[in-house]
Amino acid sequence: MSTVPLRYRLPWKKIVVYALAACFALYLLMPFYWIFAMSFMHEVDAIAVPPQWIPAKPTLENYLSFLKPNAGEALVGGRAIEETPFALGNSLVVAIATAALNLLLSVPAAYAFSRLRFRGAKLLLIGYLLTRMVPSVAIIIPFYLMMRSLDLLDTYGALILSYLTFSLPVTIWVLKDFFRAVPRELEDAARVDRCGWFRTLWTVFLPVAAPGLVAAAVFSFMTAWNEFMFALFMTSTKAAKTMPVVAANFATDMNTQFTLMAAAGVLAVLPPLLLVLIFQRLLVQGMAAGSVKG
Amino acid sequence: MPKLTETRRACLLNGPAIVVLAALVAYPIGYSFWVSLHRQNLKRPKATRFIGLDNYLSLWHDPAFLASLRTTALFVLLVVSMTVVLATVLALVLNETFLGRGVLRSLALLPWAMPGVVNGLMWRTIFDAKTGVLNGLLTQLGVVDHYQAWLSSPTGAFFLTAFAQVWNTLPFAVILLLAGLATIPKDLYDAATVDRAGVVQRFRQVTLPWLLHPLLIVLILETMNAFKAFDTIYVLTGGGPGDATDVIAVLNIRTALTYTDFGLGSAYAWVITLITLLVSLGYVAALYRKGSFEL
Repeated sequence: MSTVPLRYRLPWKKIVVYALAACFALYLLMPFYWIFAMSFMHEVDAIAVPPQWIPAKPTLENYLSFLKPNAGEALVGGRAIEETPFALGNSLVVAIATAALNLLLSVPAAYAFSRLRFRGAKLLLIGYLLTRMVPSVAIIIPFYLMMRSLDLLDTYGALILSYLTFSLPVTIWVLKDFFRAVPRELEDAARVDRCGWFRTLWTVFLPVAAPGLVAAAVFSFMTAWNEFMFALFMTSTKAAKTMPVVAANFATDMNTQFTLMAAAGVLAVLPPLLLVLIFQRLLVQGMAAGSVKG
Repeated sequence: MPKLTETRRACLLNGPAIVVLAALVAYPIGYSFWVSLHRQNLKRPKATRFIGLDNYLSLWHDPAFLASLRTTALFVLLVVSMTVVLATVLALVLNETFLGRGVLRSLALLPWAMPGVVNGLMWRTIFDAKTGVLNGLLTQLGVVDHYQAWLSSPTGAFFLTAFAQVWNTLPFAVILLLAGLATIPKDLYDAATVDRAGVVQRFRQVTLPWLLHPLLIVLILETMNAFKAFDTIYVLTGGGPGDATDVIAVLNIRTALTYTDFGLGSAYAWVITLITLLVSLGYVAALYRKGSFEL
C-alpha cells in the first residue's frame, strides 16, 4: 500500500477563514470600541500610559456635562459643550425633514420609472445619476450666496435644501428598483375594483413598497445627519449648527478634553448606527440595488 | 394615443424633482462658473470685478493648487487600492459559511454609520502623540520603544489619513462586492470541484470573472469618493503638517471659507467638477453595459 487513504488533513481553508474573520472583526470594532470606552472614562484614565483598555472607574460625567456644563469646563472648549444638546436637536430636525421631503418628491418620480413607458426615461435616469455625482464643492459657494440673498443662512432651510441636492437623486434610484419589484397584478386587481389611480397608489401600491420607502428614508436621514461641508459653511450659531459641526469644534479646539470629545462623537454616531443595525437587511439590499450611494 | 398621455403623466410626476434639482444643482453650477470669472472676495465686496479666465490661468502657477493636485492623486491611488484589496478579501470571507458570520456582517456596516467628522475625531485620539492608543498598543507589543508623534511627520500623516479614510469607506465597497458574489451560480463551483480545481484555480476561473463588473463599479465610485474626501481629513490633520495632506477639497474649502476668496474657490471647484464628471462618465458607461438603464 503506497497511499494512506484516511490521512488526516488540516482544514486549511477553515483556519484561514477564521483567522481573517478575527482580524477583520478587530479592525472594524476596535477603533469604535476605544472612543466608546473613552466616553465613559475620567480624563486621567483616558490619557493614562499604558492605556486602560477597560475603564476601571466608569463614569457618566462626560455625558452629564452636556446638560449642565460646569464652570471649569466652560473655560476650555465650553462653547462646544454648551452647543451639543442644541446640535443634536438641530441634526434631528434637519435629517427628518430632509427624509420626508425626499420621499414626497421622489415617490412620484420613481413611480413613473417603474410603471410608465415614456420618452426620455433613460436620459432622465442618467440625468439624475449625474446630478448625484456633482461634488459638494461644486455648488457650495453659489449656494452660500443664494442662501444669503434669501436670508436663509444659519437656518434649517439652508441645510435641508442643500441636502436635497445629493439625496434626492439617490432616493429616486433606490425607490425605482424597489417599486419595480412590486407585482403589477395587485394594481390591476385594484383597478378592477374601480379604485382610482391615486387610491390605488396610496392603499395598494405604497403599502407593498413600504420596505423601499423605509430604506430610502433611512438613506436620506443618514446622508443629512452625517453631512459636514455644507453645515460648516451655512451655519454659525447654535440655532442651526449640526452635530458634525459641533463635534469638529471639539477636535479643532486644542484644549478640549479627550473624554468629552469621545462622548460627543458617540452621541453623533448613535442615531445612524442604530438605524443601520435595525434596518441592516433593507439597507444592504437598497444600496446594492441603487449602487449609487457614495 | 396612450403613449403620449403616459409621457405627459411621467413629466408631471417627475416635474417637482426636476424643478428642485434644476434650481438647487443646475443653477448653482452655472452661477459658480459666473463667480469663477470674477475677482470676488467676501471681505471686499466693493472690489468685485469681472476678470474673465484669469482665475483659471493663475491655477497653472499656483503652487498650493499644483501641490494639492499631486497630493490628491497620491491619496486617491492609496485609498482606492487599499479599499479594493481589503474589501475584496472581506467580501470573500463573508461569502463563506462560518460561525459568527452574522456578527461580522453587522460589524462590517459599523464604519459606514460613522459620520466622517467623528471618524476623523476618533482616529485623532487614537493617533495622538502623547496619549493615543496606537502608541500604547505598539509599545505594549514591543514594536516601538517610545511614543511617536505619528501625525507630525508629513509621510506619517499622509499614510494615516489614508488609513482612516479607508476604514470609513470600506463597508460600501464590501456590500457591493458581496452583492456581486451572491449572483455567482453555485453549480459553477460544483463543476469546478468535480474538475478537481483547487481554491486558487476556482477563484481565478469562477469568482474573478464574475466579480469584474462589481469591482469596476467599486473602483469608479471609490475613486470619486476619495477624490472628494474632506470630513475626515479636515478634522484629523486640517491639511497639515505643512501641506502633506492638503487634498483638493480641503484647499478649496479653506480658500472659500477662511480666505473668503469666492472667485478662486469657484475656479478650483470647476476643475474638481470637470475631473469628477470625466470619472462619472466612465461610471455611466459601465452601468449602461450592465443594462441598469433598461426600463
